[in-house]
Amino acid sequence: MDWYLLLAAILLPALSAVLCFIIRNQKLRIAIVSISTLLLFAVAGGFIALMVESPDGKLVFQMEHSVLELVSWVIKGFDLLLFCYIAYIGLKHKKAIVFILSVLQFIPWALFEIFGVFGKVNEPEAAFVIDYLSLIMIMLVSIIGPIITVFAIGYMKEHEHHLHLKVSRQPRFFMILFIFLSAMNALVMTDNLSWMYFFWEITTLCSFLLISHDGTEIAVKNGLRALWINSIGGVAFIIAIVMMNSSLNTLSIQEISASGMEGALAGTLPIALALLCIAGFTKSAQFPFQSWLLGAMVAPTPVSALLHSSTMVKAGVYLVVRISPAFAGTILGQLVAIVGGFTFVAASAIAISQSNAKKVLAYSTIANLGLIICCAGIGTRISLAAAILLMIFHAVSKGLLFLCVGTIELGIGSRDIEDMQGLFKRMPFTTVITVIGQISMLLPPFGVLITKWMAIETAVHQPLVLLFIILGSALTVVFWSKWIGIILTMSYKPKFHIEKLSFSMKAALSALIAFVMAASIGIAPLYNNFVKPQILAFKMADREELAGTGLGIWLHKVDAAVYGGFASIMFFAVILILMVAIPIISNRIKPSRLKPPYLCGSNADEDLRGLEFISPGDKVETVVVRNYYMQSVFGENKLTFWVNAVAGAVIIIMLGVVIGL
Amino acid sequence: MSINNLIIAVIAIIAAPIVGGLLTGIDRKITARMQNRFGPPLLQPFYDFFKLLGKQGIAVNQTQMVYVMGHLFFAVGALIMLVLKQDLLMLMFILAFSAVSLIMGAMSVRSPYSKIGAQREIMQMMAYEPVLLLMVVGVYKATGSFMISEIFNHGEPLLFSLPLVFLAFLYVLTIKLRKSPFDFSTSHHGHQELIKGLTTEFSGTQLALIELTHWFDLVLLLGLITLFFAQPIWVGILIALASYFCEIVIDNVSARVTWQWMVKVTWVAGIGAALVNIVWMYLI
Repeated sequence: MDWYLLLAAILLPALSAVLCFIIRNQKLRIAIVSISTLLLFAVAGGFIALMVESPDGKLVFQMEHSVLELVSWVIKGFDLLLFCYIAYIGLKHKKAIVFILSVLQFIPWALFEIFGVFGKVNEPEAAFVIDYLSLIMIMLVSIIGPIITVFAIGYMKEHEHHLHLKVSRQPRFFMILFIFLSAMNALVMTDNLSWMYFFWEITTLCSFLLISHDGTEIAVKNGLRALWINSIGGVAFIIAIVMMNSSLNTLSIQEISASGMEGALAGTLPIALALLCIAGFTKSAQFPFQSWLLGAMVAPTPVSALLHSSTMVKAGVYLVVRISPAFAGTILGQLVAIVGGFTFVAASAIAISQSNAKKVLAYSTIANLGLIICCAGIGTRISLAAAILLMIFHAVSKGLLFLCVGTIELGIGSRDIEDMQGLFKRMPFTTVITVIGQISMLLPPFGVLITKWMAIETAVHQPLVLLFIILGSALTVVFWSKWIGIILTMSYKPKFHIEKLSFSMKAALSALIAFVMAASIGIAPLYNNFVKPQILAFKMADREELAGTGLGIWLHKVDAAVYGGFASIMFFAVILILMVAIPIISNRIKPSRLKPPYLCGSNADEDLRGLEFISPGDKVETVVVRNYYMQSVFGENKLTFWVNAVAGAVIIIMLGVVIGL
Repeated sequence: MSINNLIIAVIAIIAAPIVGGLLTGIDRKITARMQNRFGPPLLQPFYDFFKLLGKQGIAVNQTQMVYVMGHLFFAVGALIMLVLKQDLLMLMFILAFSAVSLIMGAMSVRSPYSKIGAQREIMQMMAYEPVLLLMVVGVYKATGSFMISEIFNHGEPLLFSLPLVFLAFLYVLTIKLRKSPFDFSTSHHGHQELIKGLTTEFSGTQLALIELTHWFDLVLLLGLITLFFAQPIWVGILIALASYFCEIVIDNVSARVTWQWMVKVTWVAGIGAALVNIVWMYLI
């Protein structure tokens, strides 16, 4: 039973990928995607059931030695193909750096895995180990992933319609999406660092293929950038594997994670951990590696939603959170927290200057990933709980928001925030969902804020990191409230027009918004049942604790004294419901009582929107209202260079420190 | 929530606007005397409030009331958290969302003045929010807890260990209360370059509720000042009232500055002062 579930999680999406590619019929493709979606939901559900039953909160999959050997060689074979393919891409597009980085990965890989130059390869006994952290990732991949794929059915049809394609390229598109889901599931389940590296590289390749999917010049250019920046991470990853093998004599991720308590942080181990963190930074687009994620926004929206906000970029933070107990409380941990915290502030600041909705979302994604890494670096149990919870909340909310922006773009033909004024009149359904998605990133009772609060309360022992989180959260409020304000701008309209959306898009948006609300309202049960067992299983010294009681959360010290918390999330939910319900119930404003806004002179006509007014000299002037973007302070071109320089410096310092340890 | 807590919360909700309204009345009286005017009766804010409530409802769109409600309820929520001695950091977040709600309301109408006021208010938030959060950190460093209840159990008044944080908070108070020289998101007099800024497009009941929220905010902020001298509490209350008097004086002797100047000074001087204080708390 267990094995079937594991194989289903990995091979089922792979099978769907093949089917999508072979069968080129739109109706059959819809059937394949729908059935795979339901089956993947079932797989996620099956894993939850298995975990609930398992006594020690861990599912260990042992293989027979001969089978293990065989699978290892198969993976090595695929690895080789992957290197060749990436090198070929480098040659084909005449991008030397892609080719060079591919060779740089191939040489240590071949010497280590094939020829055994660096000593015996200590493959772990258990091929796959699933604990609660893996389970949470499986849930994100196997629940959010398929929902976004369903959305893509409706989206890609319209997208290709806009592009005027003669031959549909959807089979290729859906194939890569499913391969990605398969690799992602495998990545979070495996306990073998060198297998993880293989799946890691597949996601990198998928990212390139999907970013460059439209085949335009800019798409290919940005795809290649994603490929080479992530290849830097790949090089760091493979070197880390070699060093890890020689210093700890194991490639088991579980054992690496537990190594911190054995006082083994010496020799090459810190270097290996730091390199793994750098691999995580590239995947999660931390400064100075952020540019690929911004370029990735040229991809069709479902790609941005799936790979570049809710799942693939989470692979990087997953790795960092996974190994963080090994360096909790060390100088390496502090430096990781500083890198993450700095990214949080810098990305939030630049987001203020952006008016392109997808770019705002991209910067916000970078910022939140930064906060997750920062929490992982702080290295207390509470901060790790905050990191894991933020991974969940961010994945759901950001997946939703990207889909919303995609829908809006199809509807109004623009992704500029300024063009979204009065959206409520044209797309009421999408607007309501978008706004709920946005306030879920910002307001109580939604989870993202709760994790920010936990992060601040647990970071008090590290002043610099604390300052970063505080400044970052102030800046976050600025860009979100500017955007929400624009979307909600409206003039009086007696009747709302009913929005036409394809079923698949509507279903995906509704499902995700339901998850956003459920996750936040159920934060205490979510924490108690899924996050807490993982936090307690981490082997680390810290003894602070987080407790979920009823619908509230409390922070405890070692002596069980409460030092922070709130009694019930419902308190905030009630406020939100009341503020909407009371105006609706109490009075419906009569149309005769509605007036146009006050302009700089008398209004030019009776129009309630107040578009024009009569200025001195009887000229008719048009009213233009815009947000502040403060390009001169927060502009991308003003800040990016300096921010990259600082972040790069911190990473070099980090390397210097671990080599000196 | 026990019955006891419920009673405290209800008393706070009833008493806060009465106290806040009276303080506003005193403010207007003192301000008038400083300007050599006689000034309105003490209860004038209440007369204004009830007059506004009785006005014919006029609106620009159907949604404005939602944001006004949010503005009010989150402020009340923050006050309840204060009187029940809950988590101080969460209180600051709630307070921030009361402000965000008003900004949303101002931005929901397509009016240039209202929008300018809203943008400036966002800039204000960006300026003062870090100072408020740093104040919370300072309180943690002094008492070892984020719970307000611990401040009351703490032997020594916070003012002794957090003097610079206190000054930074007083500075932020002027911004929060939108008093001159920081009255650039909305002003007391509706005939300036930004008309009434943030509140330009609110009228009647909506405006009355915004005024009511202002009273809640006033009591809450003075309550936060009181925390700096929680034992014995009457000293704290006197300090809070003295601080409010200072605000009135500053309001009357200064002219409006630009928001750019405010952001710069708050980030440098406000955050700077609070940080210096917190750094020495770390080193003790």
